[in-house]
Parts: sequence; C-alpha cells; structure tokens
Amino acid sequence: MIRVTRLLEVKDLAISFKTYGGEVQAIRGVNFHLDKGETLAIVGESGSGKSVTSQAIMKLIPMPPGYFKRGEILFEGKDLVPLSEKEMQNVRGKEIGMIFQDPMTSLNPTMKVGKQITEVLFKHEKISKEAAKKRAVELLELVGIPMPEKRVNQFPHEFSGGMRQRVVIAMALAANPKLLIADEPTTALDVTIQAQILELMKDLQKKIDTSIIFITHDLGVVANVADRVAVMYAGQIVETGTVDEIFYDPRHPYTWGLLASMPTLESSGEEELTAIPGTPPDLTNPPKGDAFALRSSYAMKIDFEQEPPMFKVSDTHYVKSWLLHPDAPKVEPPEAVKAKMRKLANTFEKPVLVREVE
Amino acid sequence: MTEKLLEIKHLKQHFVTPRGTVKAVDDLSFDIYKGETLGLVGESGCGKSTTGRSIIRLYEATDGEVLFNGENVHGRKSRKKLLEFNRKMQMIFQDPYASLNPRMTVADIIAEGLDIHKLAKTKKERMQRVHELLETVGLNKEHANRYPHEFSGGQRQRIGIARALAVDPEFIIADEPISALDVSIQAQVVNLMKELQKEKGLTYLFIAHDLSMVKYISDRIGVMYFGKLVELAPADELYENPLHPYTKSLLSAIPLPDPDYERNRVRQKYDPSVHQLKDGETMEFREVKPGHFVMCTEAEFKAFS
Repeated sequence: MIRVTRLLEVKDLAISFKTYGGEVQAIRGVNFHLDKGETLAIVGESGSGKSVTSQAIMKLIPMPPGYFKRGEILFEGKDLVPLSEKEMQNVRGKEIGMIFQDPMTSLNPTMKVGKQITEVLFKHEKISKEAAKKRAVELLELVGIPMPEKRVNQFPHEFSGGMRQRVVIAMALAANPKLLIADEPTTALDVTIQAQILELMKDLQKKIDTSIIFITHDLGVVANVADRVAVMYAGQIVETGTVDEIFYDPRHPYTWGLLASMPTLESSGEEELTAIPGTPPDLTNPPKGDAFALRSSYAMKIDFEQEPPMFKVSDTHYVKSWLLHPDAPKVEPPEAVKAKMRKLANTFEKPVLVREVE
Repeated sequence: MTEKLLEIKHLKQHFVTPRGTVKAVDDLSFDIYKGETLGLVGESGCGKSTTGRSIIRLYEATDGEVLFNGENVHGRKSRKKLLEFNRKMQMIFQDPYASLNPRMTVADIIAEGLDIHKLAKTKKERMQRVHELLETVGLNKEHANRYPHEFSGGQRQRIGIARALAVDPEFIIADEPISALDVSIQAQVVNLMKELQKEKGLTYLFIAHDLSMVKYISDRIGVMYFGKLVELAPADELYENPLHPYTKSLLSAIPLPDPDYERNRVRQKYDPSVHQLKDGETMEFREVKPGHFVMCTEAEFKAFS
C-alpha cells in the first residue's frame, strides 16, 4: 500500500563498482522510504554505503566504474534509475538538493556567493538578474546570515566555516527542492556551530516543508534531528525504525554495538567501553550469511551460512538479524544499552518474519 | 597523584602575521600530575593544539616556561639534553593518514625512535622490540614489513601509538587521536590508551573537541577559549557544576544519543558581556574550590566561592 504522502521510495537498490581488485558491492539491496516533511537519518561507519546511497539518489555516482545492479529509486512514483543525464539535470537542484560535508570544497572560491546561490535558478527557471539577486539576499537572510545585502557580493573565503555551511544550505534550498540530502553536513564544524546549523535545518524544514535525508555517523546528531533512523552495515540496512525505537528498543547487535561504544556523560570512566572488535568487511568479497557475524559476540552458526531475513518488530521497526527468529536463544544486550531500554507502546508481541520492508 | 610531572607557567605562543599578531596561546598556566589524563577541550582555533605543540617544543614558545620534572623544556639546550626530553615526551597525531610516512615500512616507522636514541644494539633486538610493540597495540608481527596504505584508519592509529611507545616515554600528548576514526573504532583506541596508561603509568594530555569522549578518558579537564584557559576542574565536577558561562554553553551544545534528552535540551549562548567587566578590570584565573579554577572577575569570584 503506497500512501500519497510518500515522496521517495528506494527498492532493492544495489550498486557495485568495478575495480582492478574485482567488483566492490558498495550497496547490496537497500530498501527504504521517505514521507513528506520527514527526516530520515542514515547512520553507519565509513564504507557502510551510506554516502553511496545518497549519491545514488542524485545519480552522482561516476559510471563507470560504478553501475546500478538492480533496484528502483521512485521519486514521487517515478523511477530515477533509467533517466538520462540530461533528464537528471532537471531533477538535481530543482527537485532534490544536496548539502555536502566540507563547505569549502562545495563552494567555488572564485565566484561570489550570490552568484553561486542563484546559478540553480538560472538553470531551472526564467528569471531576471535583479529578481535573482533579490532572491539570493532573501535566502541568505533565511539561513541567518547577517547583513545579507553586503554578504551576497562576497567570496567564500570571507566567510567562517559555519557561515559557509549556511551558504551551502541556501544554495541547496534556492529552487525549493522537495527533498534535501545532507551528507554529514556538520561533521567538519565545531559543536556550538553544529548546534546552530542543526537548529537552522530543523527550523527551515518547518518553514518550507522539505523532506530531509540526513547522513551521519554521530548518534547524538541522529537523536537530535531524526524522525526515523536507518542503520547501515556493509551495504545493507540492518535495522530501521522511529528514533525512539532505535534508541530505546534496539534489536540488532550492530546497533547495540554502536550505542554501547559511545560513552555517555553519566559513565564514569571506570568501566571499559564496549568496543566492536575488528573492522568492517571487505565488500569485494562480502561474507556469507550475516555480514556482522564476524564482529559479533552474538553470532550463531546460521549467521555464517545464511543471510538473515527481515523481521518486523512494530509497524515501523524492522530488523535484519537471525536473533529475532523464534528458534534463536534469548540474548541480553550490553549493559549500556539495557539501561536505556524501555517497552514501547506499539511493539508487536512477537517479531514477524517479512520478505522486505513494505 | 600529587606529584607534578609538568608545570606550565605563563606560556605564550604568538604568531606574527602580516595582519597583526595572533595570540594563539595567551598566558596559560596549569600543572599536569604524574599518571593522570588531562583533557583539553575547546573549539577549533582556540589554541588547544598549539598548546600541545608548544609544550613538546614543536614551536618555540614566545614567552613562559614549561617545566618537565622541574626542568625547563624551552630555552637553550645541548643536543644531548634535547634528545633526552624528546624521549620522555611523545606525541600521537590526529590524522593517521598524514602522520605516517607512506614510503616507510611499519617496522621502520616504529623503530625510528629506537634508532635515533640508539635503544637497540643489534638488528635482532630492534626487530624484537618492534614485534613486542605491535603486539602491545593489538597488531601482530606479520604487520611489520607492510606499508601504511595497507592498514585501516584504526590500525594506523595503533601504529602511531606503537611509535610513540617505542622510546618508553613518561608523557604523551594525544592531539585529537580519535576524531578521524569511526565510532566503533574510537572505542577500541580509547580502551587501548587507557589500558596502556594503567600498565605503564603514562601521563596523557588528551586534546579533543568531542566532549563526551574527553569526559570518559580524563581525570581533569581544561576548557580553552581564545587562547586562554577559562575553566579547569576534575572531570565530574566540570560536567556537574560548570561555572564559566562559556563552559556551560559548550556543554549545552553537545547532542547526546538520547531522543528524550534532545527534545528538551536548551542551548545556552555565550555572550562575553555577561561578565560585566568594569573599566580597567581584567579577568583572572582563580581557584574557587579546591581544584576548580575559573577565569572570572572579582564579583564573580565572590559569587562562585
């Protein structure tokens, strides 16, 4: 059942890269959706495929060496995968905007910021120079840059890091996109600046009603911005749910590992952090069965033989782990995770096996 | 833990640029005790890395003293004396990609210190020491003949740690040692550093901007703002009872992995005018409670203590 509010739906998306070392399966069958006005956070380590997923939606993956193996990206019901480069250019900036991690490299140092912000307007609509400039000033004001009339004629190097990221946000919002993809937008910034940018993004979302895909590895940021969360590991989504479900009722051992490896402000420093041993697998040769099994102390025999199916824990909460199978032994999550666990209202009595996320 | 290993007295590090003097570190005084971890936090550009680099004499200090076991690190030194200091103080850098020479094998990287200080008499002894060090940091001896590009970020940081440990230092400056690493790997490196501290009785200066990790690893924490220390206190005390308004604003800006907390978190902004400085009055670094120092005015000092 597809609701009318569904803006984006990614179905069984798989992307590989051809390299001398063989085929790197960067993402291996990813399913998720995004509703209007919603923020979805995608979390995972480097190499988990979170950035590839976001770049795939914009079709920014260099092809070759990358190629779509299978799957669909439905944006307002229309598949983006078969679109030509020319057709994609009508989508980029206008329908979908993107914010990158490093504000310095995503701005052109030789171009005034006003011109950079309005470039997208000239591309997509017929607009006079004066009108464009007026719009640039409005946008700078919207993202909270003081003295926008003066700033619009300045170059990127005249802005601080936080201000630059505001310019990048203004740029991404210029054509009022329906979807905004933010790839680690605050990672390069200081905590106080990060807090300002996060507040700005939430504020703007309320004002202009865009949906946001927020890619990050910082769970604190996730708890702050997300409505729903998708946890990625080795090119797959291993757990997805509402922000409360992921933080207060996590079910996948990898999610446990992520949560337990971060010290809280209450933890004293006496007890060891529960680190996840080892490193993520090489995706040229993805492991058989559950990709996380090698690093998991909860791994069972079946984890090394068969890929786990999806289990549904509530209407919004899906987990890809054999641990939820009725025959699996009952296991206890790490102490740090257990301390935060609570029973959520709409959880099913028993996990239900599903084929894929509907 | 009352023995002072390091005393930093009125340390100043000014850089002269065409546009004027940048006071990166401006009159800093604090002590580091034997066996403790002192965390140094602050935003980029506050001078925390410069402080670390000035202490180990990567920069010549503009003014002030750094006493290591009672002896000044800065000032004229014979080559022999300098070597001795370099052996006792080591550094772990932020970027595990930039801080290892890509054209040297892991064995040569780790043994560079051994060679300089002539700590290994024979080739066999040198290799044996390298193998021991690799094992100490959780790698194995097969890794010795490989090159840095064959390792992941976390493993490279382990190599960096092994290199620092090679010369048996007493004091290690770790400048953002985990900020380039993934969350799951950060915990591995932090656990390793804590373990080594326990085993070898090391003293750390841990420079970082990730406040929750700093709280976890540090015994005491110093907060820097514009080249000055604004607050210095035991880790728990600083988090439970922050006094300086800048510390409060910094603490209120950290997002924590807890949605309920995040929904109610109110961010405090720091506005230097809250101090209500009178004309000619300067702020001073005062001890308001045993071990808890704050940069404050006379009036604030009365209110705090």
